[in-house]
Amino acid sequence: MAPQEAFVDPVPLFVPCSRTSTEVNKTGSWRYLRPTYTEKTAPCGAACPAGEDIARIAMLASRGLFQEAWETILQENPFPAVCGRVCFHPCEGACNRAQLDEPIAIHQLERFLGDTALAAGTQAAVNERSAQGRKAAVVGAGPAGLAAAFFLTRLGFTCEVFEAQPEPGGLLRWGIPAYRLPKEVLQGEIKRIENRGVKILCQTPVTARTLEKIKARNDALFIAGGYGRPIRLNIPGGEMACDGLSFLAQIRSPATFAISGTAAVIGGGNTALDVARTLLRRGVEPVLVYRRRRQDMPAFAPEVDMALKEGIKIKELSAPIRIAQDPNDPESFPLNYELTLQKMKVSSTAINGRARVIPDGNKIETLRVQGVFTAIGAEGDNLGDFPPGANQKHLELSHCQMALQDLPVIWGGDLATPVKSVTHAIASGKQAAIALDTLFAEGWDAVATRLSACRIGSGPTVSMAAYLGGDRERRSARVVTFDEINADYFHPRARVTPVTLDVEQRLPSFAEIEQTLVTGAAREEATRCFNCGICNACDNCRLFCPEMAVAVENTARRINLDYCKGCGICVVECPRNAMVLEEETP
Amino acid sequence: MVQLDIPPNDYINPGHLGCPGCGATLAMKFALKALGEKTVVVIPASCWGVIAGPYPQSALQVPVLQMAFATAGAAASGVRAALDMKGDTATTVLSWAGDGGTFDIGFQSLSGAVERNEDCIFVCYDNEAYMNTGVQRSSSTPYGTRTTTTPGQGWKKTRKKNMVEALAAHRIPYAATASIAFPEDLICKFQKAKDLRGGSRFIHILAPCPTGWGIASDMSVKIARLAVQTNVFPLYEVQDGLKYTLNYQGGRPVQDYLQVQGRFKHLTGADCDQIQQKVDEDWELLRGKAGIYVDPAAARAREQRQCKSKARKS
Amino acid sequence: MKQVLEGSHAVSEAVRLARVQVISAYPITPQTHIVEAISAFCADGTMDARFLCVESEHSAMAAVIAAASTGVRAFTATSSHGLAYMHELLHWAAAARLPIVMAEVNRALGPGWNIWMDQTDSLSQRDTGWIQLYCEDGQDVLDTTLMAFRLAEAVHLPVMVVLDAFYLSHTFEPVDVPRQNQVDRFLPPLVPRISLDTAHPRVLNQMAPPGVYMEMRYNIQTAMAQVPRRLTQYQKEFRAIFDRPPGDAVEAVQCEDAEVVLVTSGTISSTCRQVISDLRSRGEKIGMLKIKMFRPFPIALVRRFLGAARKVAVVDRNFSFGASGVFAQELRAALCNLDGHPPVFGYIAGLGGRDVTPDTLVEIYRRTQDCPTPPEESIWIGLNQEVVQSWYN
Ligand SMILES: Cc1ncc(C[n+]2csc(CCOP(=O)(O)OP(=O)(O)O)c2C)c(N)n1
Ligand code: SF4
Ligand code: SF4
Ligand SMILES: [Mg+2]
Repeated sequence: MAPQEAFVDPVPLFVPCSRTSTEVNKTGSWRYLRPTYTEKTAPCGAACPAGEDIARIAMLASRGLFQEAWETILQENPFPAVCGRVCFHPCEGACNRAQLDEPIAIHQLERFLGDTALAAGTQAAVNERSAQGRKAAVVGAGPAGLAAAFFLTRLGFTCEVFEAQPEPGGLLRWGIPAYRLPKEVLQGEIKRIENRGVKILCQTPVTARTLEKIKARNDALFIAGGYGRPIRLNIPGGEMACDGLSFLAQIRSPATFAISGTAAVIGGGNTALDVARTLLRRGVEPVLVYRRRRQDMPAFAPEVDMALKEGIKIKELSAPIRIAQDPNDPESFPLNYELTLQKMKVSSTAINGRARVIPDGNKIETLRVQGVFTAIGAEGDNLGDFPPGANQKHLELSHCQMALQDLPVIWGGDLATPVKSVTHAIASGKQAAIALDTLFAEGWDAVATRLSACRIGSGPTVSMAAYLGGDRERRSARVVTFDEINADYFHPRARVTPVTLDVEQRLPSFAEIEQTLVTGAAREEATRCFNCGICNACDNCRLFCPEMAVAVENTARRINLDYCKGCGICVVECPRNAMVLEEETP
Repeated sequence: MVQLDIPPNDYINPGHLGCPGCGATLAMKFALKALGEKTVVVIPASCWGVIAGPYPQSALQVPVLQMAFATAGAAASGVRAALDMKGDTATTVLSWAGDGGTFDIGFQSLSGAVERNEDCIFVCYDNEAYMNTGVQRSSSTPYGTRTTTTPGQGWKKTRKKNMVEALAAHRIPYAATASIAFPEDLICKFQKAKDLRGGSRFIHILAPCPTGWGIASDMSVKIARLAVQTNVFPLYEVQDGLKYTLNYQGGRPVQDYLQVQGRFKHLTGADCDQIQQKVDEDWELLRGKAGIYVDPAAARAREQRQCKSKARKS
Repeated sequence: MKQVLEGSHAVSEAVRLARVQVISAYPITPQTHIVEAISAFCADGTMDARFLCVESEHSAMAAVIAAASTGVRAFTATSSHGLAYMHELLHWAAAARLPIVMAEVNRALGPGWNIWMDQTDSLSQRDTGWIQLYCEDGQDVLDTTLMAFRLAEAVHLPVMVVLDAFYLSHTFEPVDVPRQNQVDRFLPPLVPRISLDTAHPRVLNQMAPPGVYMEMRYNIQTAMAQVPRRLTQYQKEFRAIFDRPPGDAVEAVQCEDAEVVLVTSGTISSTCRQVISDLRSRGEKIGMLKIKMFRPFPIALVRRFLGAARKVAVVDRNFSFGASGVFAQELRAALCNLDGHPPVFGYIAGLGGRDVTPDTLVEIYRRTQDCPTPPEESIWIGLNQEVVQSWYN
C-alpha cells in the first residue's frame, strides 16, 4: 500500500545538483593567445631542386596511399623513377631527421613510388588545363625539354619536342649506364609524358635554318639542347683519348668493343665514374686519374664509394700531361699507350671546399695502359643566339634565360642551370613553363613576381602546385628547423637499407646495383618522416586540448574559439610545427 | 611518428573552470576516454571540485558525487556498495582525489578502502600541493619546492611521500603511475584497471599545474613528460603489491626537469645534485623491485646522446 | 510478537525490518551492540545488505552519504566521540538532503574518558540540519527507528534516533517486534528523487555560489518545518498498521493544572512518570512534558502545553558551557515571545552517567516550588561540594 501523502505539502528540493552543462560558459573569453594551423615548409622540399612536397609525399606513403603520394611527386616532377635513381638527393642532406638519427631515405621512397606507378601503368591525376590553343616548341628531349613539355602541356600548351638522337632522353638515355638507370624505367616515364599528348620528334636535329621554320609554327620556344659537345683533352697526344660520353652512348647499343687490359679514365665527375665502372663491367681494369684529391671529386660520394668497392683504383693528385703510343711495342693489339702524369699537391683549400692544387715540383709518373678515356666536361651548342645579349629584351632566371625575340624564347637545362644535374634540368623545364604561361596570361613584367610567389622556402625552387593555387600556396615559406620539431614524439630508428647486389654479382652484368624497396620497407621508412611543418592528422592537438576545443571537420582540424583558452598545449604538442600561437588581437 | 590508438569519445564538456593548460583536466579527459559512460566519479574537495562546475552546471557527462575533503575512499566504497545492492556491478566507481585528498587528509579513508579491497578505481591526480586553496605544501610536494607555506628559504626540505609504495604495501591487486604526457599508457592502464573488477585499483597521475608550478600553460604536457624522462616520476605498475613492471626507462638529468619550473628556481647546483641523488636512489630501488638493473649513468648518457643535436644548438 | 530485547537490539531489529541496504559503522561503546547484531544479520543472510566496516566514523558517515546518494536506504550508528568525529559530514548529509538514519547513543565526551550517559554529544550537533528524536524505552526505540526512515525519506533530511547509554542501550525490555509485511506496508521501498545515475548524469553537492546558497539553506528549513505535520500523519498510519501508538513529538503528562511542569527527554521520562504518580497521589500538582523531537524543535507544541503552566523545570543531562542546559535554552527561546509565559528553571543533572533517581527529580520539583523565580540560569543538582571546594585549596 502506498502511503497517502496527498494532503501534505510537497517537499521542495533545492539542492546543489547540476542540470546543465558547462558549455554555457564561453571560456574562450579567457584567451589572450590564439592557436592557428599554419603549415610551414619542410627543409627537404626546399632543398629539392624540383621542389617536391616531400613531407606530404612521405606522409601519404606512410599511410600506404602510394598512388596519391606518387601524384604529389608528379605535381612537381614527371620523373620519379628516374630521379629516385640518379638525383644526388640534396633533400636528404637537409632532412631534419639527420639530427635525431639519419635522414629519411627520400630517394629510395621516390624510386619506390615511381616504380610502383610504372608497374601499375597508371597515369597521374595531376591537374591539367584543357588546350588553350597555344603552341610551344621544345628543342632537346633531355630531362629539361621533356619536363618543360610535360608542364607546358599541363598548362594547356600543345608541345612538340625536337630531338637529334634516335631516341629521347638526352643524357639520361645516353650518358647514364644501365646499372644506374635501366632503359625501361626511362622509357616508361617518357612514354607517360607522350601519353599526355606531347609529340617527340626524334632524329630531327634543329639547325639555325630549321629553327626559323619552327619559330614560325609556334608561339614560344624552349631550347634545352644540353651539353652535347665534349671538352677535349688539350695535351700532346690528347686526340688519342676516347671521349667518355660517346663511349657510354655506344656501349648502350651493342657495338663492338675492342679493348682489354687496363684503361685510364681522366676526370672526377659522375661521368668519369660511369665510364670507369662500365669499363670494369666489360672486363677492363680502369684507373681513375684525377688532378685533385678524392674528397674533391665532384662525383656523388656514394657513387665513389661504390666504385672503390667494386675495385676501381683512383690515382689522385695526378694531372695528365702527355699521351703517347708505347714506343717499345707500336704494333701490339690492342694498342699500348704511355700516359704521363704530373703529380700535384695541395696549395690551399679553396672557397667551396675543393682543394687548389699545383704541380708537385717535377714529380712525374708514367702509366702503361691499353686505353685512355676522358670525362672532363662538355659544352652546349649556341642555338638561337644564346646567351641573349643586351640587344634584346631578356630576363635571367635562376634556372633559365629568357628573351623576347620574334617570339618568347627560353634557354634551359644544362645551358642555364646553376648546377648541372638531372633534377636541376627538370626544375628548369618547370620554371620555363610557368614563365611562359605567366607571360601569355599577364605579360612580361609579371613573370618574375609570379615565379617568386610560387617559390618553396627561400631558395629559387618553384612549385607547380603552388603556381596552380593548391594548399601549398598557403604554406608559410618559413623552413622548419629541427629545434621546432617536438622530438619527444620521435625515437631513433634505423634508416632503411635497400638490398644491393654483391660486387661479385654486379660485375659481370649491367644489372641495377640497388634494388627498389619492397612495399613494407617503403612504408616503414615513410613513417620515419617528421612531416615537418605540415599537419599529418596525428590528432595530437585534439587529444591534448584540455578544453575539448579542437574539432575535426571533414578531415581538417578547427579550433573552437568559444572555448579555446589559448593555453598553447596544442601548439607545443604538435610534433611537427604545423601550428603557431599568436597574440590575440582585441 | 607515434600512432595513437585512443578511444574517440570524450565525457568532459568544454567551458569547465580549469585554468588554461591544467594537467588535472587532461588527466580526467583521458581517464574517462578509457572508462566510458558507465562510470560514477567521486570527487572530494580539490581543484576538480571547482572544475566540475558550479551550480547548476556540470563539466562531466557521467554522474559525479562531490564530497568532503577527507572522504574519497569511503565515499567511493559507499557508492560501490549501493550500486552492488542495486545489482549494478557493471558501473565503474572512480574516486578522483588530489594529492591532498590522497596523501594527507584522505589517506586514512583510502587506506581503509583498499584494505577492504573495495571494487573501485582510486585515482590521485597529483599536482603536488593544495592548489585549490592557493598552493600550500602537501606531503606530495617534492623536496626543494617553494609553495606558499614553504616560502623563501623555507622551501620544502623533506621528501615526497611515496604513495604507490604505500598502496603496494596494502597488497592491492593493481597500482600504477601514469602521466598526461603518455596518454596511450594512461588510457591503457585505466582500461586494465577497469577490466580488473572485484578489487581495489590505484592510479597515480602526475598532473602539472601551470598556476602552482610557475610554468607556462603550454608546458604542462612537456613537463609531465620530462618528469618521466628524468625518472622523477617513473611509469610503472605493481600487481598484488608484488610484481613490478617498469613501463618506461628514463635517464635525462633531473636538471632538465627542475630548471623549467618556477617552483624550483631558487635551487642551487648542489641542491639539484642532491635531488638527482634522491631520484637515482629511488629509481634503483624501483629497478631492484622490478628485478632488472640498468646503470642510471649509462641510461642518462644514452638519453643525452639522443638529445645531442638539441643540446648542440642551444 | 513480544521479545525481550536490549535497547540496542531494538534498533538492530528495526534496521533489519526497514530493509536497509547499506550500513556502515565504526565501533564505540555503547553503540557496539547495535552494529554487532546488524553485522550478524548481514553475515547470516537475515538481511540482504552490505555492511561496510570502515576505519572511522568520518568514513562511516561518508559511506552512508555516498550510498544514500546512490539511491539506497542507508544506516549508521555511533555515539559521543564518534559523533563528534562525524561532525563535518552531519552538515554534509543534511545539506545533500539525504534520508540517512543514524542511531546515536548518548554518551559523555572526554577527557576524562567516560562512556556513560550524557546528552551533550547529540545536542552539540543541533545545528547540522538533522532531525533528532529521543527515545524513552525499548519499544520507543524500535518504533522511532521505523518512523525515522519514513520521515527522512519524506522530507529528504537525515534523522538521528537518540537513546541513552546503558539505561536504554544495554537494558532488556519486552518489545513488540512487528512482522515484516507490516513494516513493508509502513515503509515502501525507497524511490530517490535525485541520485547518481549513469543514465541521467548529474553532479551532486557541487559548488553553490552566494546567489543560490541562501535559498538552498532556506529550502532545508522549509523541509524541516514540514516535519511536525508529517509526523502526525505517519503516526496515524503507524497506529493503523501496528495497532499501537508511536511516540509523539512531545508528550504532555498532567500539565493542564500543574504548578510545576518537569521537562524531560529520554529515559528519565519513565522515572518522572513514577515520580508524578507518587506526588500526585499526595496531592502535589506536578506535570511532565517529554520532548521526543528536539529537531525540529516543537515550538508550537511547547507553547501550547506550557503556556498555561505556572513554573517550568527543565532537566538537562547536558550542558553548553558558558550558557546553560540545551533544552532549557531552547525552551526559553520558544516561550519568550509568549505573553505571560512561565519562568523557566534550568537544572543540570546526571552528567557523565550520574544517576538521575526519583529523588533527584523530587528535589528538582521541590526547589522549583520553593523559589518564585529562578535563582540562577542553571542549577546544578547533586554536586559534591566537598570536591568542588577542594579545587580552591
Ligand atoms: C576538511 C577540510 N579542510 C580543508 C579544506 C580546504 N581545502 C579545500 S581543497 C584543499 C586542497 C586540495 O588539495 P588537493 O587535494 O591536492 O587538490 P588540488 O586542489 O591541489 O587539486 C583544501 C585544503 C576543506 N575543504 N576541507
Ligand atoms: S590546447 Fe585547446 S585550449 Fe589550448 S590553445 Fe590549443 S585549442 Fe586552445
Ligand atoms: S590551480 Fe592548477 S590544478 Fe587547479 S585548476 Fe588551475 S591548473 Fe588545474
Ligand atoms: Mg593538489
